[in-house]
Amino acid sequence: MVSTLSSPHRPGAARHHPARCHNGVVPEVKRAELSQKLSMPVLVAAMVAFALLGSTMRAAVDDSDALSTAGTIFAGVFVQALPFLAVGVLLSALIAVFVTPDRLARWLPKRPAAAVLVAAAGGAALPGCECGSVPVARRLFGEGALGAAALTFMLAAPAINPVVVVSTVVAFPGQPQMVFARVGASLVTAIVMGLAWSRWGRAEWITRRLPRSTSGQGPRWLTFTEAARHDFIQAGSYLVIGAAAAAALHVVVPDWLIAHLAGQLLLGVLVMALLAVVLALCSEADAFVAASLTMVPLVPRLVFLVVGPAIDVKLFAMQSGMFGRAFAIRFAPATFVVATVSATVIGLLVLGGGG
Amino acid sequence: MSREAENTLLLLVGIATAMITIGGAFTRYVKPSMLPWLGLTAAVVIGLALVAMAVDIRRGVAHGDHGAAHGDHGDHGDHTHRGSVAWLLLLPVVVLIFIAPPALRPQAFPPSVTAVSTDVLRREFPPIPDGRAPEVAVPEVMVRAAQDTAGTLDNRLITVVGFTLREPDGVDLGRVAIVCCAADARLARIHLRGPAAAEAAALPDETWVRVEGTVITGSADGDSTSIPTLEVAKVTPIDEPANTYA
Repeated sequence: MVSTLSSPHRPGAARHHPARCHNGVVPEVKRAELSQKLSMPVLVAAMVAFALLGSTMRAAVDDSDALSTAGTIFAGVFVQALPFLAVGVLLSALIAVFVTPDRLARWLPKRPAAAVLVAAAGGAALPGCECGSVPVARRLFGEGALGAAALTFMLAAPAINPVVVVSTVVAFPGQPQMVFARVGASLVTAIVMGLAWSRWGRAEWITRRLPRSTSGQGPRWLTFTEAARHDFIQAGSYLVIGAAAAAALHVVVPDWLIAHLAGQLLLGVLVMALLAVVLALCSEADAFVAASLTMVPLVPRLVFLVVGPAIDVKLFAMQSGMFGRAFAIRFAPATFVVATVSATVIGLLVLGGGG
Repeated sequence: MSREAENTLLLLVGIATAMITIGGAFTRYVKPSMLPWLGLTAAVVIGLALVAMAVDIRRGVAHGDHGAAHGDHGDHGDHTHRGSVAWLLLLPVVVLIFIAPPALRPQAFPPSVTAVSTDVLRREFPPIPDGRAPEVAVPEVMVRAAQDTAGTLDNRLITVVGFTLREPDGVDLGRVAIVCCAADARLARIHLRGPAAAEAAALPDETWVRVEGTVITGSADGDSTSIPTLEVAKVTPIDEPANTYA
C-alpha cells in the first residue's frame, strides 16, 4: 500500500508487506490503531453535532464583527488557494508517475549552480500560486543538486510566473522598474536559497517521507490518484492552519502601523516584510494591495512583493507539513532574511531611496 | 485518522466546495470569475475521494493495511502525527457548510483606510459607456476621478451602486472591492453631496442604493487621501446585490 512508511526497525519487510506490522505490536501501536478505528465514528459524530449546532454557530458569528471578518477571510484564503492546490497536486501526482528521481537527475545539469539556474528559469513557466508549488517541489526534491533545484523552483514559480508579472504591470502602470525589481529580487532570492541549500542543507531535516512510489506494482493510474490524494490531504491540512493564522492576524494587526511608515525606510522595510508574512496573500493579488498602500515608500512595498510569495504563515505551515518541521524552522527564516535583503538592495538600486 | 475517515473528509471538502460554488456563496470569499475553477476543483477532490473509496472497497482493506503508517515510531517521530493532521480539514468543511460567514461588511475596515492607489502616473482612460447614466463601479469612479487626464467623468451623469455610510460630516456611498479574495478587500467610498444626498442620509446605515449623479470635477485631484464627491441627482434604495463586492 502506498501509505506505508519506511522504518529502521523493519526495513524492507515493512515497506513491501505492511500487513506484517500487526505481528509485533507494542501497546503504543495498539493505541494508535484504536484511535484510527475510532476516527470514522468520531468524524460522523462531529458532523452530526455541527449540523445540529449550525444555526447557533452561524448566529454567534453574525453577531460578532471580529468573528465574521475572521471567518470570511479564512474562507477567502482557503477557497482562493483550493484550485491552485488542486492543480498543484495533480501536477505533483504526474511527477510521481513519470518523473523518477534518476530520470530528473539525468535531465538536470550535474553541478548544483547550473541546476539551480535551470530550476529558476523553469519556475517562470508555471503560472500558479505558491500553495501549488509546495507539493510540486516536494515531489521533485531529491539528493544534492536535485534538492537545491526543487527549492529554487518552489520559490521562483509563484514569484515570477507570467500571471504575477502581468498583475504587477497592471497594478503599477507607468512604473516598469517596479516589475523588473520584483522579478530580479525574487530570482535572486530563489537562486541564493537554492545554492545555500546545496552548501549547508542537511538531508536529516527532511523528516516527512512521501509514500513509496509503486512503480512496477499496480497500474499507473493508481499511483497517480494515490499520490494526488496523499498530497492534497497533507498540503490541504496545513493550508487550513495557514489560512486560520492569516485570518486571526488580519483582525489583530493594527492598521495604524502602516500609516506611520512614510519616510522611514528601515522601519518600513521591516514592517512590510512582516506584513507580507502575516497577511499571506496570494501572489496574483499582492501587487494590487501593495499598490493601494500609497502612504508607504516604494522600496518597502517591493519588499512586501518579494517576501510574500517566498514565505508567509500559510507557506511555513505547508512546508513543515510537506518537508518536516526541522526543515521549515530553518528554511523559512533564512528565506525571509534573504528575500528582505535582496529586495531592499535591488529596490534601492532600481527605484532609488526616495520611493 | 484511518484511511476510510480521510477519504470521507476528502469527500466532504469536495462537497463543501461544490455547495458554495453551486449555491453562489463563493462570491462572498473570492471573485465571481473563479466559478469554473472552483467547479473543476470540486470535481477533482470528489473524484479523488471516490476513487480511493472504490479501490479500498474492492481490495477490502478499508480497515487494515495501514498499520505501518502509525506503528512507525522508529523514525524521527515527526510523521507519527501524520494521520491526525488531516482532522484540520474538518474546519473548512464546518465553516463553509454550516457557518457560511457573511460577505465583508464596512465594520471590517478601519475608518481611515486609503482605498485606491493614486500613486501612479496619471493617464488617459478610455471613455465610459454611452447612454444617459451608465453604471460605473465605485472603485472605478475613485480611480478615474484621481488619475484620468482625459476627463471621462467630467459633466457626465453616472449611476453608482453601493451602500450608505453615515459619517459625521455627511453621507458616503461605499462598496467593498476585492482583487483576488476577501483577504485583500478594501473599502472604496465616494462622498454624496447636493440636495438629493439628503435622501441617502435619511436612510439607515448600510442601505443598498442606486445613485445617479455627476462627479464634481477636481474633487479628487490625485492626492492619496482624497475621495471624490458626487453631486447627487437621484437616490433609489435597492435590494442587496448577489455579489456585494466590486
